[in-house]
Amino acid sequence: MSILKVDNLCKNFGGVRAVDGLNFEINQGEIFGLIGPNGSGKSTTINVICGLYQPSEGSIFLEGKKINGLKPNQCVDVGISRTFQNIRLFGDLTVWQNLWVAWRDDKNNQSSWFSNWFGRSETQEKLISELLNFSGLESRANDLASNLSFGEQRRLELARAVASKPKLIFLDEPAAGMNKEEVKELRERIFRLRDLGITIFLVEHVMDLVMNVSNRITVLNFGKAIAEGDPESVQKDKSVQEAYFGQ
Amino acid sequence: MEFLQTCLDGLLFGSAYSLLALSFSLLFGVMKRVNLAFGSSLLLSAVFALWVDSILSVGIIGIFLVMLGSSAIINIYVEKICFYPHRGNYGAIVSMISSFAIWMQLDDLSSFLLPDRTASFPSFLPDSFFIIDLFIRIDQLFLFFIAVLMTGVFFYVLYKTNYGLLLRGVSFDGELARKLGVNSSRISSFAFAFSGVFGAIAAFLILSTESQVTPFFGFWCTLKGLVAMMLGGIGSLPGAIIGGLFLGLIESNVINYLGAEYRDICTYLILLFILVVKPGGIMGSAILRDERAASERI
Repeated sequence: MSILKVDNLCKNFGGVRAVDGLNFEINQGEIFGLIGPNGSGKSTTINVICGLYQPSEGSIFLEGKKINGLKPNQCVDVGISRTFQNIRLFGDLTVWQNLWVAWRDDKNNQSSWFSNWFGRSETQEKLISELLNFSGLESRANDLASNLSFGEQRRLELARAVASKPKLIFLDEPAAGMNKEEVKELRERIFRLRDLGITIFLVEHVMDLVMNVSNRITVLNFGKAIAEGDPESVQKDKSVQEAYFGQ
Repeated sequence: MEFLQTCLDGLLFGSAYSLLALSFSLLFGVMKRVNLAFGSSLLLSAVFALWVDSILSVGIIGIFLVMLGSSAIINIYVEKICFYPHRGNYGAIVSMISSFAIWMQLDDLSSFLLPDRTASFPSFLPDSFFIIDLFIRIDQLFLFFIAVLMTGVFFYVLYKTNYGLLLRGVSFDGELARKLGVNSSRISSFAFAFSGVFGAIAAFLILSTESQVTPFFGFWCTLKGLVAMMLGGIGSLPGAIIGGLFLGLIESNVINYLGAEYRDICTYLILLFILVVKPGGIMGSAILRDERAASERI
């Protein structure tokens, strides 16, 4: 069953066409990879789907419902969350407070805004401690986010994306600047998220990671999809090799 | 004994300054915005409450409640008109200037509702008593305790509730908070409403100890609140409290020993001295380390 469907998506910035007629469909529970050389429109694609930009043309469907034109905070409400290419945390809040800000109540739990704002629930406490456990940051729960090391900040960002209980997570280059060991840990975490039933949309330059975790991959170049399929067939594709290494 | 009495008077009245400074600090320290229309919004809410009282005779409790409600609504109006459109990182100056325009608008509205220029404001608990020769007015003592209580509420909301957490998140990076699903505009409207309610409680207590309201009350609130905030440390909440009490102490001692005409001169000289020696104010070192706040200091 498809969770996200993108139909003829285009995004223009002035005369530049950053995303040009992109079509793809992501199935429930799979890990979908989007790769491409620098400037090929990967981040723009994420930003359009997450509501940062309005698409110039085309439509986006989440579980069959059209979601173009939603504001970023409404996109989170319908079940999309993301991490950022450059780490963005609330530096003057502590680790657990960072998770807390991103926390969303269950949709079916109709508690009022008052109890959301001025009360604290046990489910919230439980989720936060699970997330701290998930990211291996229990011992640093009360440290300021700005005092964390680079790897810890990346882990916190991933945990924060999970805190809003999303159906679909966009990971924008989660392995940038990581060493081999950290990439391995990240891979484990991505698999754990998939096992929880969360669909993952992975944008990455570290080929080792993308080729190992993705079920399907789409390759972008100059805003157009030039190849799609499983990791092996994409690796062998002529046009992909040309896009990356030249002719 | 005379010195003790002036200090006591100063502290009791200084607690009113602290409340005003806290309201400013909520918006400056947390939202990084200066709301010059704040005092006028309090004046308008007081005048409006008196006007409602003259028609419906709602009594002193009614006046209090009308003040709270109207002040919250007026402050949301101010936010929507001059702060919401400039909520990006560089809107601090623009929104401050537009809040100056709203100040004029609100002052004119108040003078429209207050054609006699001055109206008497109902006072409550107009008694007083002595503790070993120290003269204490009950309403001023009440003001002091309410100030302490509300400071507690203020800190509780800001540091112990989800809302306070979201507010601090929005102030650190509003765009990021929005991307994480926080409804920033609702959070910031509520911060203005909160500071309005907070200020209205302070204004009610101050007006009833003075037992009159004049058209200058709005300007007076803005001035005293800003001066107390700058004395204590811009954007620092404990600093706002200390600054308010300190301002009260300075004023009562100067009035007692030098005369009322020297009050403002001495206040501003001390403010100048503190800003030269310690530019962030008494408690302001922490906020100066925060480059973002420092770059937006006005």
